[in-house]
Amino acid sequence: MAKQVTLTIDGKQVTVPEGTLIVDAAKKAGIDVPVFCYHPKMEPVGMCRMCLVEIGRPVIDRATGQVVKEADGSPKVQFGPKLETACTTPVSEGMVVVGASEKVKAGREDILEFLLTSHPLDCPICDKGGECPLQDLTMGFGPGESRFIFDEKMRMDKHVPLGELIYLDRERCIQCGRCVRFQSEIADDPVIGFYQRGRSLEIVTFSEPGFDSYFSGNTTDICPVGALTTADFRFGARPWELNNAASICSQCPVGCNITFNTRREARSGGRMVIKRVMPRQNEAVNEIWICDKGRFAYHFTEGGGSGNSERLTQPLVRKNGELAPVSWDEALQVVAERFRQAGSGLLTLAGGRLSNEDLFNLRQLTQGLGGQTALYTQMAGGDLVAQVGVGQGTNFADMGAGSAILVVASDLHEEAPIWYLRIKQAVERGAMLIVAGARPTRLEKYAAHVVRYPYGSEAAAILAMLNSLSAKRPNLPEPVQALARSPELQAAAKAFAGAQNGLVLYGSEGLGLEGSQALAQACANLLISTNHIGRANNGLIAVWQRANEQGAWDMGFRPRTDLAEAMKSARVLYVVAADPAGDDPSMAEAGEFLVVQELFLTDTAKLADVVLPVEAYTEREGSFTSGERRVQRFYPAVPEPAGLKADFAVTGQIGQLLGLDLEARFASKVMLRIASQIADYAGLDYVRLAEVVEQWPIVGRGDVYYGGTSYENSQGLGVQLAPAAQRGAAVPLAWPEFASQSHSQQASAEGLLAAPINRLLDRGQTVWPSTLLHSRIPQPYVALNPADAAVLRIPSGAMLQVTLNGTARLAAAHLDENVPQGVVLVPRSMGLPIFGPAPVEIRRAEVVSA
Amino acid sequence: MNHLAEKYSEEIQAILAKYPADQKRSAVMPLLYLAQRESGYVTKTAMNEIAELLGITATEVASIVGFYSLYYDKPAGKYRIQVCTDLPCALRGAEEFLEKLCENLGIRVGETTPDGMVTVEHVMCLAACDKAPMFQVQSGEGLSYHENQTVESAMALIQSLKKGASHSNKDGHP
Repeated sequence: MAKQVTLTIDGKQVTVPEGTLIVDAAKKAGIDVPVFCYHPKMEPVGMCRMCLVEIGRPVIDRATGQVVKEADGSPKVQFGPKLETACTTPVSEGMVVVGASEKVKAGREDILEFLLTSHPLDCPICDKGGECPLQDLTMGFGPGESRFIFDEKMRMDKHVPLGELIYLDRERCIQCGRCVRFQSEIADDPVIGFYQRGRSLEIVTFSEPGFDSYFSGNTTDICPVGALTTADFRFGARPWELNNAASICSQCPVGCNITFNTRREARSGGRMVIKRVMPRQNEAVNEIWICDKGRFAYHFTEGGGSGNSERLTQPLVRKNGELAPVSWDEALQVVAERFRQAGSGLLTLAGGRLSNEDLFNLRQLTQGLGGQTALYTQMAGGDLVAQVGVGQGTNFADMGAGSAILVVASDLHEEAPIWYLRIKQAVERGAMLIVAGARPTRLEKYAAHVVRYPYGSEAAAILAMLNSLSAKRPNLPEPVQALARSPELQAAAKAFAGAQNGLVLYGSEGLGLEGSQALAQACANLLISTNHIGRANNGLIAVWQRANEQGAWDMGFRPRTDLAEAMKSARVLYVVAADPAGDDPSMAEAGEFLVVQELFLTDTAKLADVVLPVEAYTEREGSFTSGERRVQRFYPAVPEPAGLKADFAVTGQIGQLLGLDLEARFASKVMLRIASQIADYAGLDYVRLAEVVEQWPIVGRGDVYYGGTSYENSQGLGVQLAPAAQRGAAVPLAWPEFASQSHSQQASAEGLLAAPINRLLDRGQTVWPSTLLHSRIPQPYVALNPADAAVLRIPSGAMLQVTLNGTARLAAAHLDENVPQGVVLVPRSMGLPIFGPAPVEIRRAEVVSA
Repeated sequence: MNHLAEKYSEEIQAILAKYPADQKRSAVMPLLYLAQRESGYVTKTAMNEIAELLGITATEVASIVGFYSLYYDKPAGKYRIQVCTDLPCALRGAEEFLEKLCENLGIRVGETTPDGMVTVEHVMCLAACDKAPMFQVQSGEGLSYHENQTVESAMALIQSLKKGASHSNKDGHP
């Protein structure tokens, strides 16, 4: 523990760790030192001068080294001749800080008067008005009037698009540099900068394409004025009209805590609508940041838009070949009757965007009838995560020197941006990062070791690491032995094994279900063998493609490799929150009777015999389990639309018609049942999930000037589950079955193998309806090595016909020398049917005349 | 295609060699001078090329150009006549000198002569107060100081510059 220092701030005695800045010490003591440029998550720069205070230090007798005493025995304190910045000055023993003096008051008035000489004071039309630090601090500390002449104010551009998502009002900018520093220090994506000096200083981007960073929205939260606003919320509402609802981002397994700001408005027909998404503080999950996907992709919940993104509003039953609207009673009766007849012939296929409560009820219903369940995913290993961890108490913020983090088969910047951010920060604190991948990714910049393997050898690479530590399993296949001879891999393995804490994140790049299973097992073996299990900051994290896939595994769902056959042979197929036919036309041949429970009329729903419309997660309660196995609650943000039910309620009501004991009214009561039947969830209820503790830095509340407009977490930090290893269970090693096919055996006649990759912004059902993001989402494409392209005579940007899994689609050719030769990278959810590595044929598309 | 890297390959290598390999970004300022010498100002293309050479963003390069007053982001005359008009120089007649010089050239401060040869600017202290009126001439050939000037001597210098005579550094300043 750091040495403690005691000082006095405005007469109040405060004890804080050595090295604390005065501004933070004051905040901890409940004393406000106003700031603009300082932010508790970034290094201080002392640029704005708003935090000036009087600082006195005890006088030390040079001869004796003792503190000089006044006549009354108190220490003699010497004040500096000038005010000093509280944001750059660390505390020292016996220091006396005075913020409540006439001198400081005059200083603050002068700084504010000075700042306002170049500020337009257009608060009535400013989005920040009402939650604006400049407004608040001017009211609190500013002079009543200005000596400067209004007509001499700087006049600058007011609507500068820095990128497609962020607008800059140059006049309002007070040059605090928080946005520039965020992009450079925290996101390490310095695409905005200062230009010119003094009064002419401007925030600019010279990058192409502009302010195109996955974290750009955060700059609008920490901007202390209305200079930076999002294209989404700009001129959308006034902050004081907004209600807030705590929620969890549903876009990836990080589980960022968010707040939906809503209001009832005439322009939306008097409905309550979501106006924006704000980060909600959870220092163990997302701190006070969210990525742009989380901030802007929520529009899918609203319906509207075009094509398949219109929300379903009533149950549909196929009559005379057409889907016709019917009452809930009729639809549920039809479904219950069919389910009863199907019995063990029922196959329930669920997607990973469902809540724990939905998944639990689905499993109870299906098991009650003797049917089978399947998880619609291309990733495996959720059972291993539950066994080896991550351990309870895991927090990236606690990782530093002594911690090793291994990331394999995942481009975290694309798949889970906040984990990317937090791992980068862990490395800056001294953690050792190993990145194992088939191609370079952005995270490698921070890696101490990079392990390169060919696509198809993901599990082999991890087993080779293990093998290089101890020859526990001598009869390893050749690809493993070959990799194990790499000195870089051996060094990485040694470093990982020697670290005090070891964490592995595995993803799904280049992998299908079978490869994923092998990789997860290999990772678990490495962790078990190096004793990195059952403790906080140790264990396994799956970088799932959807928010609650870990929860689905915990609720007992498993993916199946024979899904296509199982779907065809099922007597009744119950598809919930999944669109297999949309992803792959060959999956369109469903069994005898198809029930689809969905938000949208997906391609699968169009084939259904019964379609059951459900509420979006923003319209109801529930819980998700994050990739770090933190169970977190989300709350209704907007009222449920008439005629819709939550997924768990629909399933529950079907079950009740079949005489099963299912909860169909309250998500909270489903959670109680989960707690009583799923061992890992024992003891959980909605009250525990809603518990909070004080977090640092303090954000929200009345002092948005300090941490920005992120919301304080008063609705629950969630509960991280303990894995079996942490509860004392023995976790055995198991050796994965090796896919014996080497790359060349899997490749097509042309020698090309398609490998799936994941993009943050894709054309998926929960992203594409947010039209704001379209400019950031390319046309369908595949990426290949320029050498391969040269052989095939494919120029960059050419339109290709890509034949994959029996389906031919058009896609543009992206040439990228980082793509290994012989491999065609195919992004998931971008209109091409890709699930795992597969042979692919590509050729120049014929130019079709219109 | 990186135009600068191709045209000045050797010179760029020599510049980069002065800095540790992991701190290539430190070479941004000499490379900007090189780019400015090439075009008379730093073009947006050059900023991108320098960013690519150093592995930093074009925005980071641009903010250096914006910060320092001796880098230009807009084209101007081949020669920039930069007259100091700070207080000590003004007391020795620099303001009047500047006004007359512009009058003679038929332009206003900050403008360029129609033949594109000369731009006249007023700048902050050039550290030669005692020899005002004075100015520096900045061009692709470098900087040169000209002190104790009259409008006549300045015009004569400009004429010789326009004729292409090199303006040697007569006053011993760098």
